[in-house]
Formats: sequence, C-alpha cells, structure tokens
Amino acid sequence: MDDRSFIAAQDFILDVKRFWTTEIYPALKADYENRTASFESVPDTSEEVEALIGSTTLYRFYAWLERHLQRLKYSGRYGLYPYHDGKRRELMASVAGIEIAADRLTLNPDLPIPEYYRKVDIHQHPGGIWRDEIAGFVYERGARSTTPLMGKAHKDLHQRFTSFVANQGTTPSHILDMGCGFGKSTRPFYETFKEAIVDAIDLSAPCLKVGAHEAGYCTKSTVRYRQMDALTTDYDDNTFDLVTSTMLIHELPPAEINQLFQEATRVLAPGGRMAHLDFHHVPNAFARFIHDGHARRNNEPFMSSWADIDPVALMAEKGLINIEIIPFQEADDVDPLNNPFWRFPWTIVYGEKAPA
Amino acid sequence: MSLAPELVDLAEQTFFEDPALDRAFGVVMALATEVYVLRNRQQALERLLEEAGVLDRAALDGEPSDQERRANADDRAEFTRALMISLLGKQQSQGAA
Ligand SMILES: C[S@@+](CC[C@H](N)C(=O)[O-])C[C@H]1O[C@@H](n2cnc3c(N)ncnc32)[C@H](O)[C@@H]1O
Repeated sequence: MDDRSFIAAQDFILDVKRFWTTEIYPALKADYENRTASFESVPDTSEEVEALIGSTTLYRFYAWLERHLQRLKYSGRYGLYPYHDGKRRELMASVAGIEIAADRLTLNPDLPIPEYYRKVDIHQHPGGIWRDEIAGFVYERGARSTTPLMGKAHKDLHQRFTSFVANQGTTPSHILDMGCGFGKSTRPFYETFKEAIVDAIDLSAPCLKVGAHEAGYCTKSTVRYRQMDALTTDYDDNTFDLVTSTMLIHELPPAEINQLFQEATRVLAPGGRMAHLDFHHVPNAFARFIHDGHARRNNEPFMSSWADIDPVALMAEKGLINIEIIPFQEADDVDPLNNPFWRFPWTIVYGEKAPA
Repeated sequence: MSLAPELVDLAEQTFFEDPALDRAFGVVMALATEVYVLRNRQQALERLLEEAGVLDRAALDGEPSDQERRANADDRAEFTRALMISLLGKQQSQGAA
C-alpha cells in the first residue's frame, strides 16, 4: 500500500472517531440525562443504564463504531497491520542486532507468557502486541492516535504523569517502569530524571526492541529494557525508590493485580514511592456503562474487574502508606470529573513504602 | 514471518437487532474509507498537475458547458441504472426462485 493512501485512510478513520467522541457520545449522554431528568434517584448500576439506553438506535451506532473503527484502524484494508506488514523488511532492519547492546536491551526467549495475555488480542491488535516481530512498530504507530482529542499532544499525557512525580519534590535515583511497552511511558522518566537508572520491563520483545532502539539515539541516560514478567521480576527486595506503571493494571485479571502490587511493594525500597497511571475513576452508573462497554468492544477483558477493585484497600493490605487515588487530567482542556466528550477515566494510583 | 490479520471464526459482536445491519454498515464504512482515499489522491493529483503548469484549475472547477453535460448524460444514466437496478428485484437468469 502506498503511504499517501495509508495516511489518508487513517486520518479519515480518526476523523470519524473524533465525530464519535465529540458528537455521538455527547448526544448519547444528553439522551440519558433527558430520560433520567424526572427520576427521583438516578440509576446506580450499569445494568439500569443499559435498560434505559442500551437498545436505542443511537447507542447501537455508538457501540458499532467503537468496535469497528478500531478494527478498521488495525486490520482494515488500510490498517496499521497490513501497512507495517508491507514494510516488514525495512522495519526489522532498523532494529537488527539491537540486543547486542546488552546494557540497553535484554531479551528472554524462554520467558513464559501468561495465559491471560495469550488468549486475547488486547485492544484488537491482531496477534496481540507481542507475537509478531513487527508488533512493536504497529503498536507505536497505533498509540499516536488512541485519543483523537489529543492529536499530537498525546505525548503530553505521559509527560504530565512524570511531572506529577517530579512535582512531589524528591528525585528518584532508581526507577522501575513496569509494562513499559515500547517505552512511551519510560521516555519522559529518563528524560526528566537524567541521573537516575531506569529499568523498563515488559513481556513483549517486539515492543522492547522499539523502546531500546529509541533510547539508543535519544538519550545518554542509563535506561535498560528487559523482557520480564512484572509479576515475578528478578530484582532484589528494596531495589527501587520509584516503581511506576502506565496502562498496565487494567490488562491484568484480579489475582494478577494483587500479585503486581505485591511485587511492586517488594522491590520498592523503604521510603520509596509507587505511582501507577491507569483507568479507574468511574464516578457514576452512566460512566460505568460506557466503560464496561468500551472494555467489551475493545477486547479489554479485565478492565471492568479492575474498576471493581478498591486500590486503597489493596495497597493498605500491602502495607503501603500515604495512599492516594487521583483523577488525572491528561490534557489541558479536559475535565477529569465530568467531561462533555468521551475520554478514558485516567487515574493515578499512588502509595509509599514506610521508611525503615 | 507474516502474521497478517486473518479472518477467524470467533463469536461476532453485533449491535443491531438485525445482524445484517452490522455487516452492511461495515461495507459502508469500508466504502467510505475508499472514497476518502480516492478523494485525497485526486486532490493531490490536481495540486501536482497545477504546480507543474499542466492543469488550469479554473477550467476544472468551473460549471461545465452544456455540451459537456450532454456528453456526460448517457454515462451518468448508465451509472445510475446499474446502481439502482437491484431494487426492482428482477432476475437476470432463469431458475427456481
Ligand atoms: C497498554 S500497554 C502500555 C505500555 C506503556 N506503559 C505505555 O504507556 O505506552 C500495557 C503493557 O503492559 C504489558 N504487560 C502486560 N502484562 C504484563 C506483565 N505481566 N508483565 C510485564 N508487562 C506486561 C504489555 O505487554 C503492554 O506493553
């Protein structure tokens, strides 16, 4: 496929998504608000919302578009997948031999890949973000347009999260980024905390390669990409003074979430901080209905069970202190508590390990 | 090693009362994408031709002459007929209904 056609089609699909975000979603919300305006108490479960608007024509199109725009984006004729597949040779040449720089990248071809990860192609990425050698490139490109309202500013979101950590005052010296993907979440950390050692781990070798490649030309900081399961890392107890993750938790089943917090707490040094950015703050039944529907339609099987978990209780159980759950403003012009347009329910989940 | 998306027989998520609409709307969106890709390409082509001094944009954008419209008419009628013919429900070969 030629580059112009690919770009034109992807831009078109993104524009349709923008229309969905800024016109269809608000219309759906307005319809729901009209229907409930005379209620003495508004619905408090997703099921009640479903009964009210789940079979309207508007909602059906809303749902159809949510699922199929993502499908077209990845797998359609001008999808990310066929496009990158056609460039396979040059893409792979760009990262050839990258694992030779062992201080940048360590892969483990024998790493067991967990069942929850294998059985679903998360966010409709065909083959998942790990099976195919080009999956890291496909995911990188796809992540540039996950939230149509942010456009080019998508990077801002990760930067803003890092700024949150930086604004807390202390400067971390050894950072672990769990579920780093292709390093989009890692980069602002190594660029902000230039003196720190940054370890970034993920299950997906193709993603790690892209991250290591990028770090190879854009930083002199010590950043190491390692293929590892975040639930069972090989780090010693008390290794890091900052443990972070971005969009990892919602991909995990409940037992694995428990294990993740256990592991994050174990490798965190006394007095250290952990900050996770994920989707969690779903303040009402309508938001929950939208969130659950998104999870189903976008192949995110554990997003809803994560929304049911109380992270405060979970972190307290692990012995963490100063726990905070903070709705996160991912861009200047959004209202994290009641946005007129569709957005992810971005939330920071924060805690500290008591000083020794 | 190509693992390009295959068509797999997994459960289909449908959103309309009649799943035919789910599928038909997929065709509509695929076509709409093609239309935009073509439109974008044509605009690029026109711009390149204009920059090369080959295309007179005013002539292209202006209202077509009566002569040109007459010349287009048969072609358009044929296009329209081919588009609409299915709606009559007529058969084009003999056989059991
Ligand atoms: C939505 S991506 C986010 C990537 C990156 N943090 C970012 O912000 O762009 C979630 C990542 O978590 C990784 N992941 C899922 N389960 C994991 C596990 N048990 N151990 C390590 N990484 C995991 C996936 O491979 C994926 O790269």
